[in-house]
Amino acid sequence: MKNIFKKEIARVFSDKKMIFSLFILPAILMFGIYGLMGMLMDNMVSDVEEHISTVYVQNAPEGFEELAAQTGYDKLANINYLAADTSAEKVQELKDSVLNGGVDLLVIFDKEFLAKAQAYANAGDPIPSVKVSFNSTLNYSSAARGTFNGMMLGGMETTLLQNRFGNLDLLTVFNTEEELIVNEDKANGEFLSMMLPYLIVMLIFAGAMGLVVDAIAGEKERGTMATMLLSPVKRSSIAFGKLFGLSVLSVLSSLVYAVSMIFAMPMMMDGMEELGGSVSLSPLQIGELLGIIVSLVLFNVSALCLVSVFAKNAKEANAYVMPLYMAVIILGMLTMFNTGGAAPAMPMYAIPIYGSSLAIQALVTNELTLVQFGLSAGVNVACMLVMVFAISKVFNNEKIMLNA
Amino acid sequence: MIEIKNLTKVYKLSKKKMAELKTKETTKKAANNISLTAKPGEIYGLLGPNGAGKTTTLRCVATLLKPTEGAVSVCGYDTVKEPEKVRESICFLTNEIKLDPHFSPKYLFQFFGRLHGIDEATIEARRKELFEYFEITDFENKKIEELSTGMKQKASIAVSLVHDPKVIIFDEPTNGLDIITARNVTDLLQKLRDEGKLVIISTHIMSEAEKLCDRIGIIIDGKKITEGTLPELLAETNATDLEDAFFNLYKVHHKEEK
Repeated sequence: MKNIFKKEIARVFSDKKMIFSLFILPAILMFGIYGLMGMLMDNMVSDVEEHISTVYVQNAPEGFEELAAQTGYDKLANINYLAADTSAEKVQELKDSVLNGGVDLLVIFDKEFLAKAQAYANAGDPIPSVKVSFNSTLNYSSAARGTFNGMMLGGMETTLLQNRFGNLDLLTVFNTEEELIVNEDKANGEFLSMMLPYLIVMLIFAGAMGLVVDAIAGEKERGTMATMLLSPVKRSSIAFGKLFGLSVLSVLSSLVYAVSMIFAMPMMMDGMEELGGSVSLSPLQIGELLGIIVSLVLFNVSALCLVSVFAKNAKEANAYVMPLYMAVIILGMLTMFNTGGAAPAMPMYAIPIYGSSLAIQALVTNELTLVQFGLSAGVNVACMLVMVFAISKVFNNEKIMLNA
Repeated sequence: MIEIKNLTKVYKLSKKKMAELKTKETTKKAANNISLTAKPGEIYGLLGPNGAGKTTTLRCVATLLKPTEGAVSVCGYDTVKEPEKVRESICFLTNEIKLDPHFSPKYLFQFFGRLHGIDEATIEARRKELFEYFEITDFENKKIEELSTGMKQKASIAVSLVHDPKVIIFDEPTNGLDIITARNVTDLLQKLRDEGKLVIISTHIMSEAEKLCDRIGIIIDGKKITEGTLPELLAETNATDLEDAFFNLYKVHHKEEK
């Protein structure tokens, strides 16, 4: 058993291509994806912030320019003033530009805006209006509208109200004090908890897939399995040796995934702070994460072995494995839509793969109990033992092993 | 010593196989009540056309298949009850059983030596001896996939002999080899016989059986028709060479089936 175990390991480590695809590629992939995501999000946010929006203003009320200079708005936006007698065609043209992004914002004040506002005395008197045209699908335009509302309209409103009432407190009926009560970890993990379990579960399976198919069905196809079966070693030892060798490799591979994910995370966080979400794991949590990953790998490898053993060649094995892969993806995806709402019932954790996926999710949001952890990892290991037993039975079956 | 007693091997046929063979029967008797005994120091040849049941018989001897009826014992061990003991004393070679192309002959020699529970010093000594005999010492660190067909065959024979087996089972030993490599292999089999090993082979090549085998068992449609030394077979069938002898037997016995 030890020898077969060693051989499986040697198989991979003596092959540069295998080392690359199992250990180096995942790391590059993780850093690449997270780094890129972080960079892009960062860029997107700062780009929008730095963008000087193009704003057209018609009938700007008296004092508008001064206010813009005072608040600094004129530095954030390129303000173009339109004459009061601008033709309807020209206005329509500008609206079209808003649609296709050439112009970020079109603001049209009522004629005699200030006068109307100041003259208001009784109910029924005309209330002036300002028409703001923007495109909600364009980041620049949306941002320009937000900035304009906040800095310009807000400022004007305050001034006008002050003029009308003298004391602004007259307008305040009561103060509302809101206190935010959230579990910091949960709030931060919400976004990640959607993606992470799915990614981990899927990557672990995908990592083991090629490896196991080749080591079992590939060996059968090449005729090298029969050589092994002819040695005076118990069939169950061969099965165990292979299984553990492959598991160790898969665990190593998924550890590379996990570690690079943990290290790459901050790269993404840079860009994500604005969107809300960061995660820090305690040593216990890291241990639990490893536990789940290892048990999941054992489960996957033995499931893959069992399926591949029945195939005559690697091609057939891949066809058999596909439905399994689909199932894993679907089970992983189910957890994505599980955020929010009540915690899943305990028996759910006993479903292989799905339970692990739930456990990872709960782990990220800091809600995983030891019982849930034990259950999800335990089920994986128990299933593995049953499957290993089945595999060694199958190894003794002449029909399946020799295609006889 | 190999003793085969009333060996019968029945395969279940899948629907697809049934259609291929144009038969309505759900089973096929690959070996039908075969009995034979082969002793150390001889080369026993199973001669028969393709699909006669030669490979099935050899696989049963090599513990890869379990007999449906009857029993096979090798060196006194039953192939079903003590397969591990049997495997310790045999080596089984065929074209279907190959070495992992990713590893070097040296690595695999060591690997299989360890699987057989041999100590490192003995493995090393055996390796030197066998690799020199097969002239693969220069290639021992190359990957199998980089070797030529003849080299591969030599390497797999060398590896399969790592544990100095008492019984050598060889399914179609020269199949697919060029004349020189084939000659190497037959020379080796004779050398092993002279060392007192029991060699059992299967073949459908008459000349090979004539030259190589001390005793020949003729198998047609899963049944052993007759066995004996070459002169015995020729006398039995009134033929001048093995090919004629075989056809005389084939005509009689293949017709009977129909």
